[in-house]
Amino acid sequence: MTAPATTSSARNAWENAALSCEGITKAFQGVHAVNGAAFAVPGGQITALIGPNGAGKTTLVNILSGSMTCDRGQELIGSTDVTNWPSHKIAELGLMRTFQLSRELGGLTVLENLLVAARDQAGERLWNIFLRPGLVRRQEKDNVERALDLLETYGLYRLRDARASDLSGGQKKLLEISRAVMASPKILLLDEPMAGVNPALIERIGGYIIDLKRDGVTVLMIEHNLNVVERICDHVIVLAEGRTLAEGRLSELRENEQVVKAYLGEVINAGTTR
Amino acid sequence: MQLFWLSVGFGFVTASVLAISAVGLSLQFGITNYINFAYGDFMALGAYFSYALNNELLHINIWLAMVCGSLGMGALAVLVNQFILAPFARRFKKTFYVLIVTFGLSLILLNLEYSLWGADVRFFNMPLQRAHHFGPILLTNPQLVVMGIAIITMLGVHTLLKVTRLGKCMRAMSDNTALAMTSGIDTKRITTVTWFLSGTMAGLSGTVLGITEGNLTPAAGELFLFVIFAAVIVGGVGSIYGAMAGALLIGLATEVSAAYINPAYKLDIAFVILILTLLIRPSGLFARPGRV
Amino acid sequence: MSGTWYYIFTLIFFLFDYFILAMGLNIQYGETGILNFAYIGFVAIGAYVTGALSLPKSAGTGQYYILGFSMPFPFNLLIGGLTASAFAVVVALIALRRLRTDYLAMVLISLSLVLYDVCNNYVPLFNGADGLYNVPEPFAGVLHLNTNSFIPFFAGVTGVVALIMWFVMSRIMRSPAGRTFRAIRDDDVVAAALGKNVFRQQLKSMIIGSFYAGIGGGLIIQFSGSFNPTAWLPGETFVVFAVILVGGVGNNIGLLVGALVVETLLVHLPAFLPAIPGHPGLIEYFDAVLIGVLLMAMLWFRPQGIVPERTRKAGAFGAGERLGAEATVAGEEAVTGDEAVAPLTRSAVQPEVTGQ
Repeated sequence: MTAPATTSSARNAWENAALSCEGITKAFQGVHAVNGAAFAVPGGQITALIGPNGAGKTTLVNILSGSMTCDRGQELIGSTDVTNWPSHKIAELGLMRTFQLSRELGGLTVLENLLVAARDQAGERLWNIFLRPGLVRRQEKDNVERALDLLETYGLYRLRDARASDLSGGQKKLLEISRAVMASPKILLLDEPMAGVNPALIERIGGYIIDLKRDGVTVLMIEHNLNVVERICDHVIVLAEGRTLAEGRLSELRENEQVVKAYLGEVINAGTTR
Repeated sequence: MQLFWLSVGFGFVTASVLAISAVGLSLQFGITNYINFAYGDFMALGAYFSYALNNELLHINIWLAMVCGSLGMGALAVLVNQFILAPFARRFKKTFYVLIVTFGLSLILLNLEYSLWGADVRFFNMPLQRAHHFGPILLTNPQLVVMGIAIITMLGVHTLLKVTRLGKCMRAMSDNTALAMTSGIDTKRITTVTWFLSGTMAGLSGTVLGITEGNLTPAAGELFLFVIFAAVIVGGVGSIYGAMAGALLIGLATEVSAAYINPAYKLDIAFVILILTLLIRPSGLFARPGRV
Repeated sequence: MSGTWYYIFTLIFFLFDYFILAMGLNIQYGETGILNFAYIGFVAIGAYVTGALSLPKSAGTGQYYILGFSMPFPFNLLIGGLTASAFAVVVALIALRRLRTDYLAMVLISLSLVLYDVCNNYVPLFNGADGLYNVPEPFAGVLHLNTNSFIPFFAGVTGVVALIMWFVMSRIMRSPAGRTFRAIRDDDVVAAALGKNVFRQQLKSMIIGSFYAGIGGGLIIQFSGSFNPTAWLPGETFVVFAVILVGGVGNNIGLLVGALVVETLLVHLPAFLPAIPGHPGLIEYFDAVLIGVLLMAMLWFRPQGIVPERTRKAGAFGAGERLGAEATVAGEEAVTGDEAVAPLTRSAVQPEVTGQ
């Protein structure tokens, strides 16, 4: 894989990549949303995917998580080629994603939302339901305990039996993240986790993400909030016009003329007041 | 070989009926974004309106009755949308609900027809039919008129969509309803007009179906519905011109096949083509991108 | 036995039978969100196969049909159910895999109409428009029941079958499998993102639901001894939907209530009202209109049905109460130490709207 390495940290990323891609291209009716994006997400770190609007970030996340196919390109999880795998197979490998606009399973309770995410549930097979009910019951109990632990951590315990569709916007965001965490991800793709959220909740979510890193999860997050990026991200990938512009630490990237130009200077400078 | 050309002729007739009904369905689907499962019953009801004017309450010339009956169905379609379909569509986000409502509407209309006209076969009061030869193809007066009606209707729809402001608004709504609304298009008015057109074309195609089949029964519309679906899907869901192309293809295929297999199953050929389309090219001939 | 008792037991039979049918459609539509507008076709397959298996070889009977193995009850019934399931697999592989909701519904209705057309016209299959009749009574050789005692007996048998099938369905709906179905119903993209093989789950749902349809149909032909196309015009699917939507989607008790309400209106009302002279069948027609109107009214005023879906609470899993955990409240402005966060000048960022 040829890496558009621009900085030393970027080169390091390619060597320890949990997730990497090269030459990802996707066009919608002739318009290229993603045009040859390539980067490596280092394992066990928090990486940000930043870039101006229309840079193709969400499309890229859709492709990486399998919700969408790419026209060209290659994607690797570790050393496995997962290009254009369907999303459930990618999820099986341990890659989970959240959605920019929270998609809760409205007809289910908050607890059930998490239970759906639990992996390898014997109770999904009819054989087990009728012939090994004890196993199913035990697994359920364990999953429920774990789910309730998570709900406690994320402050949603009180709402465990509430219908997911009745939650407020901030609560749905927390549900979205905790549900992905329940699936014991190795890699977590977060699509603008801080979007539309009040500052105190941003702090909380930032804290949760740092905790995830401590537990060994690799995090890739799309974010516009460069303040947050500066504070919690180890590595940054800049996307513009569907391709990777640069990779590295935010401090290094601020010096990069191209990156600054892509952002028209505004947002980057604003994030430095701290 | 003689039989082949004869069936080609019939094929054009069936295609004509199909074209009118398929385009009527597609126009409405493009705007409202859900399939009207009562469409077959709209067709039958329109045919019964024409029948009532032609052979029951009054005794008007069949073609005049056809026009009036169709317009009547168009008006009824507007009312049905206003008081039943639009409220449900507004209230429930998922299309499940309004689809079930159209399914229920179909049951209601069918049984109303049974109640008012009974299950017996009815006939239009037609002038004497003369046959005309076009080389190996043989067609009667009414069949020629039906084909003419279909051509006029297709040209009319084409003109409407491409030339008139109304048509442009319809195309905009069909592409992106939310954007159309914010662009100042009166979506409610366009929807009403579309239902009127759809209902009129349903009534029109139902009547000509009754004319070409030679008789009228309440369930005829429903049984024909799947042929319309086949034409729409084969042509490419969401595309008006696709519906026309699909109608031509299915119309010819069903009639020509009838020359070689048991004619009782000729309509089922449409279903076979539908399945083949799904297997080979699911988006159809002229698919609108992003629609499936 | 007096006419009233005969009538009541017939009613009871149809109550149990429609309950079975409703459970089958419920797992497809109510639980998994598959709008199976061809459901009645699967019921018919079950009925025809069950009947044709129990009849002797067709030569000489005056009827034309395939199979004809003089198979005894309940084996023919089970195979009838399995045949319906097999058919569901074919349908799922061709249509379900490729299509979204409305288009799937269109194809399924078309399938239903074509099946009807073929069975109605192609005589060698199941005797065409006349349908199958003189289907042997179950247990005829063993129990020697006369017509009077067969009806309540078989109504009882159907009740037992319904009970067993209810038990099975309850277990499935309460299990993780049921939960996965509901997740797919609510948002199949999310379900896939969480690792669920959506198509395989939908296939499972179709197979189970169609088995119930086939059993329900098989029981009908065994009860009445005959079955012909007029019994299953494609619009009949709607009646089963009505049972579910009126009674309560996703709730088995609701289904029973729905079967009672809809089936009582359907069967009961016409029989009690005097026929209007000169207009045969008018009562039936009004009845069907009434069902359509009732359904729309229910959808409008009480879309959750008479008996709404029950929420499954945490306590049901045996999890104990956690004191103190209640104190943490999410989403509210919990004040943390980092209050000195500078106001962020975020450019008016519109969330990226991309085609998905």
